[in-house]
Amino acid sequence: MELSARYQDGLVAEVHEVACRIEGDALVIRDAESLFVRDRWPADQVYPLHGRPIQLRIANGARPLGARLVFSGPADIAAARAMLPALKRKSAAYKARQWKLVGLSTMALASVVAAYVYGVPLLASRIVGVIPVQWEADLGTTVARQIEEALVADAGWEICDPDPDSLANRAITRFSTAALEGAGSPFVPDVQVIRTDVPNAFALPGGRAYYFSALLEQTESPDEFAGVLAHELGHVAHRHAMEQLIATSATGLLIGFILGDMTGLSIAGGIGASLIDSRFSREAEREADRFAADVARRMAFQPVGLANLLERVSGDDDYAEAFALLSTHPLTSERRAALEALEPSPAASPAFTDEEWQAIRTMCDAGTTTKTATDTLAKGETVGFSTQAEEDQEEDPEEDLLDSPVP
Amino acid sequence: MSESGAMTGRAGAEFTGTRSQLLGILLTGYLLLVPTLGIYRFWVVTWKRRFYWHNTIIGGEPLEYTGTALQLLIGFLFALGFFLPLYILFFYLSTQAPQVIVLGYAGVGVVLWFLAGYAIYRARDFRLSRTLWRGIRFDQRGSAWVYALRRFGWTLAMIVTLGLAYPFMAADLWRYRYAHSWYGDRRFGFSGSWRQLALPYYGTYFLVAALVVAGFVFLGADGATRLEALEMPSPGALGIWALAALVAGLGYYRYRARELSAMFSAVSLGEARLAMRIRGRSLMLMTLSYGFWVVVVLGVLLIAVIAAIMVLDPGDMPDPETAFDIRSALGGGWLAIAGLVGGYLGVLATLSLLGELIFGLGFWRLVVRGATIENLDSLATVRAAPEDRSLAGEGLADALNVGAY
Repeated sequence: MELSARYQDGLVAEVHEVACRIEGDALVIRDAESLFVRDRWPADQVYPLHGRPIQLRIANGARPLGARLVFSGPADIAAARAMLPALKRKSAAYKARQWKLVGLSTMALASVVAAYVYGVPLLASRIVGVIPVQWEADLGTTVARQIEEALVADAGWEICDPDPDSLANRAITRFSTAALEGAGSPFVPDVQVIRTDVPNAFALPGGRAYYFSALLEQTESPDEFAGVLAHELGHVAHRHAMEQLIATSATGLLIGFILGDMTGLSIAGGIGASLIDSRFSREAEREADRFAADVARRMAFQPVGLANLLERVSGDDDYAEAFALLSTHPLTSERRAALEALEPSPAASPAFTDEEWQAIRTMCDAGTTTKTATDTLAKGETVGFSTQAEEDQEEDPEEDLLDSPVP
Repeated sequence: MSESGAMTGRAGAEFTGTRSQLLGILLTGYLLLVPTLGIYRFWVVTWKRRFYWHNTIIGGEPLEYTGTALQLLIGFLFALGFFLPLYILFFYLSTQAPQVIVLGYAGVGVVLWFLAGYAIYRARDFRLSRTLWRGIRFDQRGSAWVYALRRFGWTLAMIVTLGLAYPFMAADLWRYRYAHSWYGDRRFGFSGSWRQLALPYYGTYFLVAALVVAGFVFLGADGATRLEALEMPSPGALGIWALAALVAGLGYYRYRARELSAMFSAVSLGEARLAMRIRGRSLMLMTLSYGFWVVVVLGVLLIAVIAAIMVLDPGDMPDPETAFDIRSALGGGWLAIAGLVGGYLGVLATLSLLGELIFGLGFWRLVVRGATIENLDSLATVRAAPEDRSLAGEGLADALNVGAY
């Protein structure tokens, strides 16, 4: 059987009308008019190429890259396929190879993701160990300034009692120093009460921690205050803010890899990053809770105050549940259960004396009145206690600087 | 069907692909992106290129794209090696004082702008060297670094001259690209010059500038102080500025069409010459239809989502207090996240799909259908050039998002 086709030899940009037929194990290509033999292709080395469905374009592994035979029309295409069984074989092998490649690279990427999800929190804590203390302290200063600048603009930012020798500040310093004692933290704790209407408390890299006045208004006992403070100091002791910063950056890199957008302009990166990071930050919260419980036992006050306050401020409302995974904070009930499971100290006494607690409670009373925290709560904002780098997105203007180091 | 007239040797080019074929390729590809965690994007690009190339018929013979997805994947991995240090730099910068951050980002932005020139040239090299016609490969030589330097230098000149240098830049970069392009053993020539671009460019430029200045004159003596006080300027000045914006918009499309027509028409390959005719209104129509379809498709999607929520959870709807409450709309945690991520990816996919169907396909078709080649027959003597050095994909271009097709 003879089939007409168009032929190019891959050496010269000319197209020839040819007639081809199988002779032995060769595909003989003859000029359509002169019947001069243009080439003999090894028939078992032909392979099909991608092209429009109205054509069948084939090449040969033993010929130049551009050598082609082109059959047109359904009848000729079918005949050519019948004449050259190698086509079907090569095509199937090619497809199998492509899917194998897709599958392998997907699996490789999946294992990178898995290694990341389980590995980076571990890795982050190791990396934190080698980060110079001074560098982290400087970073804390920078972040503090950034927060100040951002908050002064809209929410207002004022240190409630700037005198370090006031009764309240001395009490807080005494407590913080005692809490961090023996934790092996390289940082000197620096806790400040800030006047602002966001009910929150958080720790920064380098030993700084903030307690907001709106949260203080809702704090009903010295043990609640001590519990939250101990929790934040737990973040300081574990250097969580720094760990978080490193982990989040690594997440951004991973998401960029998946989306192929290394310039990191993508919002999806943000969403994906918070999904993965929430896993890490919830672990950090648990760790800080454990630290708080430990401090409570050591200093003999009731650790459950932390949970009480947490519950009062945020509660397990539907909103928090809906975004439980995106939220950087563990569910309150979960944390509460963990804290309640702790043995209460046998000879528990409040962490602060009555005078001290009175002084702390009234730290922010001088000066302007603040908006009540319940106003903010009514909007359904998630509230919790966290390190700075894992702050809730809507509450935190400098989150961009910390969570996504790539613009 | 274009005929290659034997006497004149004139040949047109035609494009045989349809929008629904491309839609099918892209939809299949996008769906496969999900289970492959995005890895399939290299295959999507490859399939897309095959569609464009194989449906472009010049003198009766289609172009052929021989690049593979694996080459793109490897190129991407190479680019990662470049971006990792950059990423660490970003991380370090983010921990610095705000002034340092701004300066650092500006510095990185300048570096990336320079590298974008390199990436563009390499990407073109990749595509050309994987394009066959009549069994002979195209190629691009020249240096991507030189091209990047030129482009960067011209950018500086643009800033200094407030954009007046543009025609010179355009002609120079077109020349560099085509003077280093090859078809087999034959080199492309380029005879274009800034003079061909000067009239449409400077005409629009000075007309717009004059209108803007006229608006200020119209504003009167106290205009500046009123602007500073954020008061509404006089309607006359606003009208003139609106006119300036309109002229700038229309002038942009007119200029783009002129530049494409004139510069493509300056391309030759031995005795064969390309002639191109692209109309400004075709380019403008593309933008308008893109805007129209984005509004329509996203609107329909939004309505579908709202309808789905109402059907799934109709109880909350009568109460306006909870109607906009996200908790009623999204319910459980995983559902909320799936909705959020799915919604985002859906919008992203829709935009990129429409962009490809309207701008990508539209522009390619305009160029192919606007082209005529004289003396096409003279190319029958072109011989294949020796194998090109192996190119590691388009790495940087892929990562920097500069590869158009």
